[in-house]
Parts: sequence; structure tokens; C-alpha cells
Amino acid sequence: MSTLRNVAIVGFAQLPVVARDEHRISTEMLYPVVRQALADCGVERDAIDYQIGGSVDYMDGRPFGFVSALDVMGSWPPRQDLHLEMDAAFCAYYAWLRMQTGDCDTALVVGHGKTSEGDPDRVLNLQLDPYYQAPIGLDPTSSCALQASAYMARTGATDADFAAIAARNRAAGARNPDNQVRSAASAAELQKTPWAVEPLRKGYLPPVGESATCMILAAEGKAEKLCDRPVWIHGTDHRTEMQTLGARDLSRSASAKLAAEKALAMAGLPRASDADVVELYATTPAEELIVCEALGLDAKAARPVINPSGGPLCAHPIMSTGLVRMGEIFRQLSGRAGDRAVANARRGIAHAMQGHCLQQNLVWVLGTERRWS
Amino acid sequence: MKRPVAVVGVGQTHHTTRRSDVNIAGLVREAVDLALRDAGLEHKDIDAIVIGKAPDMLEGVAQPEQFLAGAVGAHLKPMLRVHTAGSVGASTALTAVTHVASGLYDRVLTIAFEKQSEGNAMWALSPNMPFVAPLVAGAGGFFAPYCRAYIVKTKCPPHIGPMVAANARDNATRNEYAHLREPMTVEDVMNSPMLWDPIRFGETCPSSDGAIAMVVASEATAKKGPRKPAWIKSGYSYAEAMWVPGRDQVSPRAGRVCSQAVYDKAGITDPWNQIDVAEIYVPFAWFEPMWLENLGFCAVGEGWKIVDRGEQKFGAHLPINPSGGVLCSNPIGASGMIRLGEAALQVMGRAGAHQVEGAKTALGHAYGGGAQYFAMWIVSSEL
Amino acid sequence: MNEPPQEPVKYVESKVYLPYDYIAGDYKARYLAALKDKRILGSKCSQTGKVFVPPLICSPESFAPCTEFVDVPDRGVITTFCTVNIPVIGRDIELPYVAASVALDGAAISIFALIQECKPADVRMGMRVEAVWKPDGERHGDHQDILYFRPTGEPDERPESYLNRL
Repeated sequence: MSTLRNVAIVGFAQLPVVARDEHRISTEMLYPVVRQALADCGVERDAIDYQIGGSVDYMDGRPFGFVSALDVMGSWPPRQDLHLEMDAAFCAYYAWLRMQTGDCDTALVVGHGKTSEGDPDRVLNLQLDPYYQAPIGLDPTSSCALQASAYMARTGATDADFAAIAARNRAAGARNPDNQVRSAASAAELQKTPWAVEPLRKGYLPPVGESATCMILAAEGKAEKLCDRPVWIHGTDHRTEMQTLGARDLSRSASAKLAAEKALAMAGLPRASDADVVELYATTPAEELIVCEALGLDAKAARPVINPSGGPLCAHPIMSTGLVRMGEIFRQLSGRAGDRAVANARRGIAHAMQGHCLQQNLVWVLGTERRWS
Repeated sequence: MKRPVAVVGVGQTHHTTRRSDVNIAGLVREAVDLALRDAGLEHKDIDAIVIGKAPDMLEGVAQPEQFLAGAVGAHLKPMLRVHTAGSVGASTALTAVTHVASGLYDRVLTIAFEKQSEGNAMWALSPNMPFVAPLVAGAGGFFAPYCRAYIVKTKCPPHIGPMVAANARDNATRNEYAHLREPMTVEDVMNSPMLWDPIRFGETCPSSDGAIAMVVASEATAKKGPRKPAWIKSGYSYAEAMWVPGRDQVSPRAGRVCSQAVYDKAGITDPWNQIDVAEIYVPFAWFEPMWLENLGFCAVGEGWKIVDRGEQKFGAHLPINPSGGVLCSNPIGASGMIRLGEAALQVMGRAGAHQVEGAKTALGHAYGGGAQYFAMWIVSSEL
Repeated sequence: MNEPPQEPVKYVESKVYLPYDYIAGDYKARYLAALKDKRILGSKCSQTGKVFVPPLICSPESFAPCTEFVDVPDRGVITTFCTVNIPVIGRDIELPYVAASVALDGAAISIFALIQECKPADVRMGMRVEAVWKPDGERHGDHQDILYFRPTGEPDERPESYLNRL
């Protein structure tokens, strides 16, 4: 593995996730978060070379919804800029990649979108191919349920297993002031919640909400000036699979497995379980189990600690959920995780995904020390 | 850029009002197959895929790259989806270039498409937005006032827009892939209905279904052939805020900054004489003189004179849009990449009947939003 | 359904139904509510003092917050315009009509507005215009409270004063 440029996360800001912000439109939610991230790094907007945003027009209910974000990101004078129609975590990937070319040393990554204005179930149904899958009305809960069934059939996982995972996330999430759901719930209580779409109970589903997020990345040489404890990127990779649900083994995530292998190899980390803390973009316990298996993690082990933030089951601001996972690892490894800090955390893994049934997966391996010298 | 990057294959579909013989996947796959064959590569040789298109409302599918992943050969590969409004095709290509320039990817497939016949394009582009009174239908209504401002500021005569439009059609007669290929005279354009004064029907772009794909690759791959590659000397994408007081919407600063960056990196100090051909994003005829100025081909106020003297025609000093440009084909998401792809074809010597003889250096340009997004590259036949 | 289809299926018609419940946000809501009182509000950049209509949360130019609301006169100048010949969905305006960028006095940016009460051919860049409101009692605090703008008859503004406020 050749030497790459050391790049670090040096700042992360987000709004607490809520079901509906009654006072601010999407860009008005983004503005304070961009200001906060820059202020935390002690710099003005001009100090950042590159900007990239993630959002989806259909979520915004506006074509070109992202264009107005330019006006709240400090896009004057004109800036080098890009926008992806993807979760902001993928924008962070591209910003990291761009820094590898040497074309920029610092980057501002934002995620925005108000899920409360539209109907996410309908919108996410439209992600499916319009010929065979969308017309049968598959919404994300149903496709998650299909995947959960497949997983149970192959592994023998039970409703109780799902409840335990959900309860663990909820307990952790109670300590995270940025979460939409901040109350613990026992496995027994969650197992009594009614079916949403069997085998997924209402208690196993994420609370869809909204937020705005901003992350600042910086290359070695700059990172140290922007953050007292930069969190260095050791390895990263992302993969997609074809969408067609019937053409995949839904009980596994081949793309998460491959992305993890590549990211770990780049990081020089033999196993995911060598990390101290992991944040997974898993919107149901079944997804968490499938991604753990793909990464080679034991979901029941005490270490590495999985989703000390509470994960998406406590806050799911679609378009930012992936970036929040990275942000949480940044908080953990840079001593900013408050009550939910994992002791002695030096290496972490953040995961992001997109699409039905874990179609696309992105894995980051992060650490308190530089990867390459 | 950390290392050289080249275009090693280009494939595009024949742009037309409605491709009723293929579905969305079929359209995209057609361009992909052509690009791979052109590059002498197979799906297994591709390391990553970067796909771009304009608002997803145009086809009624959210994030369609997800369902297209299988059709484009993205299974178990990295795939990113770009969306920067009208400039998206170009910024998508530049995103692919970064992948190779980084040293982490050797061969990247980049795709841009739009199958807008399948949706309602007018609705998709300007649905009824809340809290605002709808005032104009279509992008032309938004840009027409700035075209007027250009005409008034520069005292541009009224025949310039029609000349641009007529010339675009003439160019398209030499491009088998163009959508609108019937010749039009200046009189035809002048006689066409005025839509949003000063923009006439004959000066507007069509609505097209179309796709384009390219393979960008490292030096090692490019030198293996089979094609003579187009070397990407520079490429940048910039954006600016909309509501900046006094923002120049006739010659936006982001366009000037972007072109300056692209020229500087490519070592171009005299664009008018050092660039052999340019494919620029002209969806309404009046943008041609405006962009000639914004791109530094001439002084402010002089762009229309280049058109008046015919210096941008095929065979003249600096042919602009020998492909016919956006005025002759506009699958919205693809148009930006078609500009960049056509620029590449020129320096590869592969532009067929619209080949500019001896073209060694070409500019590909696109813009989007309220003239806020700009993405461009300079390609050369030499490394 | 006993017989197989005679013709291959060529098209699948799919209607998309997506309900959206947009919020105005406090800034826009305040602006709209003020229209009921025939007031046009802008927000002022805390750094440069420039005024944005409709109100923006921050200045796109300085990146500073705009926290102060100020009243802006309901008259200004046409900075540029176009004459529209194709109808817009959702409205019934007699063709042709003029859609113009209007820089209200004291505002740093323009709004897009309908011009009426004059022939399209008489509209000019630099022309002074004033708002025509819905009558008292008929305004509800929404964007339709201003019906259109019409010429005031004042002398045109000189290009230097409006060409940088397009």
C-alpha cells in the first residue's frame, strides 16, 4: 500500500436532530452549523479551499434544492465547489480524494435536507426502479423487513436478538443531547411494540428527523492548526451493489464487506474488531447485524463499542446520518464525546450507507495518530 | 493534479426528442457500451463509476443511479452521483478525473444522461414553489432579462442571436449525434415566435433524450491505446452565491475565476490564439457572445463582434460548438459532459465531419443554476 | 384475464404523487405577514448594512448574519426585464406581459415582479415603478398581496444607479 496524504477530520457541527424544525427552512438550518464548525476551528470561510454538499432534490421537494445552500456556505468570492445527490458522508469521501491530488488542503462538507416537509416513505419508494419494484409500493420499512426476514432465515436470528440490539442503541442514545429520541427502552418493552412490517417492530425503526451538518477536513500541515486533536483518516473505501432486490443475497452485504476489507487494508488494520469504537449507519437491528457480519464484528461483544451515540435508531436526519457517524467517531477520538465517551478510544470505524437493503456502503477507518509518516 | 489523466474513450447516443426503443437503463447502457468499446476496455477493467444528471424529477425516479448500478456495471465498485444543475455533466467528468489524478484509481467510467421525454420537463424544472408567485415558465424566462442587459450594455445588434442559432444548426449538419439538424437561416430565426423577449423560439435549445459516457484513465492505460488519447491539462468547477448584491449575471465572476484557473493550469495566456476549438454551453443563443467575453476570448463588449464577423464559425479562427452545441441537443444532465466529450473528440482527431482540422487544444465548458455553477476543462493532443 | 397481451408492453405510465408541506421559516413568514399591512420587510447585514428583500438569514456576500429587519419602500427601479409570450402554469396573466427585476429603493438585490398598466413596448430599464396592492381587507399576508408593479411616471434612473443591481 503506497503512502497517501494524511488527512484529518478537524471539526464537526450539527443541529440537534428534531422531527420538524418549525422555524427554519433547510438552508437556514445549515447556516449556523457552518458558522459553528468554522468557529470551532478558529478560522474564517476564506481559510477553506473546497466545499461540497450532499442533499437530494426529492427530499427537498424542490428541483435544484441545493443551489440555495450556496448562499449560506460563504460562496463569495466564488469557490471550488461540488454537490452530490448523496448522503454527506460520500461528499466527505470525495473531499478526501480531492486532497489526495494535492489540489486542496482543506474542505467544508455539508449535509442538509428537511425530511418533515415531504413524505420520506414515498420519496424513498421512488429510489426503486420504476418498472418492477417501485410500482409494487415498496417503502423503505418494507424493504428493510424483506432483508430482516432473509437474515433471520439464514442465521436463525430472533425477534429477541433484534430487541436486544435496539435496546442497546436506545440506552446509549439517552446520553447524546443531539438525538431526537433520548429515552432508554428495555428489550422487553421494545419487543412489545406492534409490528410495523413483520419482522420489524415499531420499536426497531429509526425516528426520521432533520438536521444540518458540517464537517471540516484538513490535510497534514493544516490540520494541526485547526484542531487540538485531529482525527486522522487511516483508510476508506465505498462500494455499491446492483439494486434489484431479488438478484442479491439480502441476508448479507457484499458491498459493506468489500468496502471494509479495502478500508482496513489501506489502514493497515488487520480486523475491524481491532478498533475501539464503531458507528454504523444501521436503521434497523437487522441492518446492524448484517453490517457487523460484513465487517467481521461481533454485535454482542463489549469491544469495540458499537454506536455509543445511539446510532440511527435514536436520530436519523436523512442526508446527514452518514456524516453524523463520522462526526461521532471524531468526537470520540478527539475527546469531545462528553458523557458517552468510550474510554481509551484510539481507533474507530465509521460506516455510511445509501439505498434499499444496504445497496451502497462506505467505510472509514480513523485514528488519533497519523497513518503515514 | 498528482498525475496525468487522459480521456481514452467516448460514446454517446443519437440525441432525439424521444428514445422510445430503450428504457432508461437501455439508454445509459448504450452510451456505456460505446465508450468501453471505444476505449478497448471491458467492465472488469473499470475501477469506479461517476454518474451525473440533472433534477431527478425529470424522469420521476429519485437517485436513479441506484437502480442503474447493475446496468452500468457498478456492482461491487465505487459509484458516486453528482448533481450541479446544468453544469452537472461537466462537473461529473471532472469528478472522474480527480479519481484518476489521485493515484487511487486507474480507469474510471463517467456517465451523464437525461431521458426527459419520460417525465414532464416543464414541471420538473419549474414546479409551483411555495411562497413565491410563479412568473415565468422555463429557464429562458429567467435568463432573458440578463440577455437583454447584455444587449443594452454592449449595443449588440438584434441579428446576433439569430446568427448564433443559424450557425449552430449549420454545425449540426456535420454532427450525426445532434438532435436538431435541419438548417435554419437568420431570417427563419428572426421570424420565429418571440418567447421571452429578447429570446426567440429559434434561439432556444430543444428537450432531448440522450446519454454520453467517457473513460478517463492514467497515463499507463492511455499510452496502451487503442485510441490516441485526449490529455486533460486542467479542469475546475466553481460556484457562487445567488443573491450577492451587484452580482454580474451577464458575466458571472465564477465563470471568470474558473476559466482563469483552467487557463493558468494549462499554461494558456492567450485563449483567443492558443485554443483551437471550444465547446461551450449555450442553451439560448445570446449566451454565445456573453460567454465569449466571460471566457476571456475577447474584451468586455466585444463578444458579439466575433459572431458578427463569423470568427466562431466552423473553419474560422476559433470554431465554437462545431457539434451544434446545446442549441441543437439538450439532454439536460448530459449536455455538460457532451461539451467536454466533444472537446476531447476534437483533439483526439475523432470528430468526424465536424473535426476542426489540426485541433490540438480544446476547451469544454458548462454552466448551471442562476449562472452560478461553472465547470470546464482544457484538453490537448499532447501530454 | 385469460389471453396473453397481443402487443409487447412498450410504456408504463406511472403517476407520481408526492405531498409536501413546506414551511416558510420565520424570516419569510414575517415578510409575508407584513405584506398584509402593506409593508415590505428586508433583513439587514450586520456587517455591511446592506438590505435583502425578501429577508435572508445571512448575507451571501459577507457571510455575516442578518438579524435586523427594516422596512423598505414599495417602489423602485426596473434593472432589467423580459417580455413573456408563453403562459406560466398556475396563473392567468394576459399575454404578452413584462417580468422584471425590480430593485426596491434601499434594497441591495432585486425581486422578480410582474409589470402592468403600461404597454410592454414602453417598459425600459431604469423605469421607476411602484407596487399595486390588493385592496384593504383583501390582503391575507401572502405573496399575492402585491398584485403587480406599475410605472410611477418619475424620470428614469441613470444606468450607473441600477446596472449594478441587476
